[in-house]
Amino acid sequence: MTDNAELESFRRKWREEVARRTKPNKPAPAQPRPSAPSTSRAPTQLPPAHHEALERKEVDDEETPAALDPGEIVQGVSQLSLQRPDEDGFDSQAHRKEPKSALEHFERAVEKEAEGNLGDSLQHYRKAYRLDAAVDKTYRNKHFAWAWKKNAQVAVPSTNATPASQQSHDEPDLLPTPELIASFANLPIPQADSLVEGTPPPPCPIANVPSEVIVEILRHVALMDPASFSRMALVCKRLAYHFAHEQHIWKRICQGSEFGFKAMHYSFACDIYGRTEHTLGSRFTPFPTSIPAQIPQPLSSWSEVFQIFPRIRFTGIYISTVNYTRPGAASAYQNISWNSPIHIVTYYRYIRFYRDGSVIYLLTTEEPLNVVPYINKENVKAARPSSKKQHQRQNTEGGTTVKGASDPVPPVAMAALKYAQLGRWRLANPAPTPDSEDTPTDLGPELPSVPGKTASENTLDPRDVIIEAEVISPDKYVYVLHLSLRSFSAANKPGSKIAPPNTPKNTKLAWKGYWSYNKITEEWADFTLRNERSFVFRRVRGWGMGS
Amino acid sequence: MAATPTLILTSSDGVDITVDRDVAERSLLIKNMLEDLGETGEAIPIPNVNEAVLKKVIEWCTHHKSDPPSTGDDDDSRRKTTDIDEWDQKFMQVDQEMLFEIILAANYLDIKGLLDVGCKTVANMIKGKSPEEIRKTFNIQNDFTPEEEDQIRRENEWAEDR
Repeated sequence: MTDNAELESFRRKWREEVARRTKPNKPAPAQPRPSAPSTSRAPTQLPPAHHEALERKEVDDEETPAALDPGEIVQGVSQLSLQRPDEDGFDSQAHRKEPKSALEHFERAVEKEAEGNLGDSLQHYRKAYRLDAAVDKTYRNKHFAWAWKKNAQVAVPSTNATPASQQSHDEPDLLPTPELIASFANLPIPQADSLVEGTPPPPCPIANVPSEVIVEILRHVALMDPASFSRMALVCKRLAYHFAHEQHIWKRICQGSEFGFKAMHYSFACDIYGRTEHTLGSRFTPFPTSIPAQIPQPLSSWSEVFQIFPRIRFTGIYISTVNYTRPGAASAYQNISWNSPIHIVTYYRYIRFYRDGSVIYLLTTEEPLNVVPYINKENVKAARPSSKKQHQRQNTEGGTTVKGASDPVPPVAMAALKYAQLGRWRLANPAPTPDSEDTPTDLGPELPSVPGKTASENTLDPRDVIIEAEVISPDKYVYVLHLSLRSFSAANKPGSKIAPPNTPKNTKLAWKGYWSYNKITEEWADFTLRNERSFVFRRVRGWGMGS
Repeated sequence: MAATPTLILTSSDGVDITVDRDVAERSLLIKNMLEDLGETGEAIPIPNVNEAVLKKVIEWCTHHKSDPPSTGDDDDSRRKTTDIDEWDQKFMQVDQEMLFEIILAANYLDIKGLLDVGCKTVANMIKGKSPEEIRKTFNIQNDFTPEEEDQIRRENEWAEDR
């Protein structure tokens, strides 16, 4: 019997403890709790900002440890560009405070370096030194003063000395998302309260609009920009419901050429200079409007199709950032072997896709900030020496040029764009048919496949992308890029009840092969991919809207 | 040989408005009603639309009276033009209450073209805005709890497409 009483009291204590731990912000009472290892309690106190930053790293760094911090690019690009401050600066909430001073940059750089993230680290080191050439001294004084000053206080504890166990903090009980959304079905659109008490609330005419009209409005928003559509889901519950449930809108997006699969090319649609191919035969499209379209297995809804089916984006740029080291020549004046410099070189590859099947491919050391907003066909043509007349015949695509095309382009961007290559792109044809061979095309000679290298159409992955780009001089070469769409995996927090963020899919282009083809000798040559990094998609404001 | 045949419409606030028959027939509701009932010569009551809005709607129908009739279907060609023509843009420069009144009237009277222009105008007001800005624009209150909002944000993050 005494045994039972003891057991009972243990149980009671244990329940109390569990109850305590499900309420995260309650200060823990000071009484000893022998059953709980103390390490698992500490993390709940951590500043949430840092937590988010950690999480972001996990998501981004899956395969490209040396890539530039993507958030930074977006920030940079969005600073630069045009009108609205928020259109794609949507991600800033996921950010830690950006470092401002040279010291802060330096500290961040050290931190990134410790994480093994050379790309980010380098960015911060460079900024730090640009702001203050003696920043390393400042840093040493701050963090390592104890090494030479006996009485100095212990090194400032790094703000992010985080135990790895911090993931295990408690989360409230949540309804599964589909059920949560379904519960929003018939809610009204709530009106805002009046700003001043006693005055009538501001008019909210949208609250009186019937569902069918709301859906009609949402459809227009979706066709203008699916990202804006997704923001509507965060406005209020009723709109979240429509966002998830109006599958016919998603179907229309999938079938359309604005953002959907009608604009995907599964065979080249133009020649290498961007001149459009004219054929009478209908081009392959996975979801034709003429017959009832099927949702491909194993997907279950059109929003999933839009999310997961391989798709090229036209609303931004794909950037690959490469850092590599190269031994520098030892200076004649300090001819000492332990002091020979090492250069860290950073270069970028940019790819901008167009709906008409053409592409701009650019390799440069210019940072995204300086060149990305100006990557368009008009500028590429303008940057070229005028002797290249044959390229002028290209059709210019009306809607896709940047609005400010008439704005003067900075010389730095122009100089970089001189080396931009035009080309064409296509996705692997998921359903290659033998009769597609005899459709006559005026595309010029199709390149023979590289023996043993370019896989034949049947063995291509449906996510594969082939790009052929002209070489300006000497113009007997064509570059062939074999890339493949990949996604950043969303890392789930161990033991978390919250689903990982549903990150965008197919926003990364991984290298599969890279060759040059000599049109005269018909010879193929391999480029090494040793240094190359995957391309990462970033939206650019004003690009690729409308069809 | 009479002049163009006219009809009389009575607004919800009891005002009679005379309008050319071909203008009024931009409204499929009125057109179908005339086909079903024949011409009675009596005023047609429009119980859901007040005078100010009805006049706006008639102005639009007058300007667009020679447009090809909409097929009524959800056809692609209509959808492709995401732009609003200049006259319509000017026409839609009204306050938000009027804008939604016009949309409601177009919906009730079944005037596809006008409904389309109205919805596009609203869509343009939404495009490129953050959820908070959208709420401000339309005076909508946020009825999510922070947890719910976070949950929905995670669920829909993929569509941000960045």
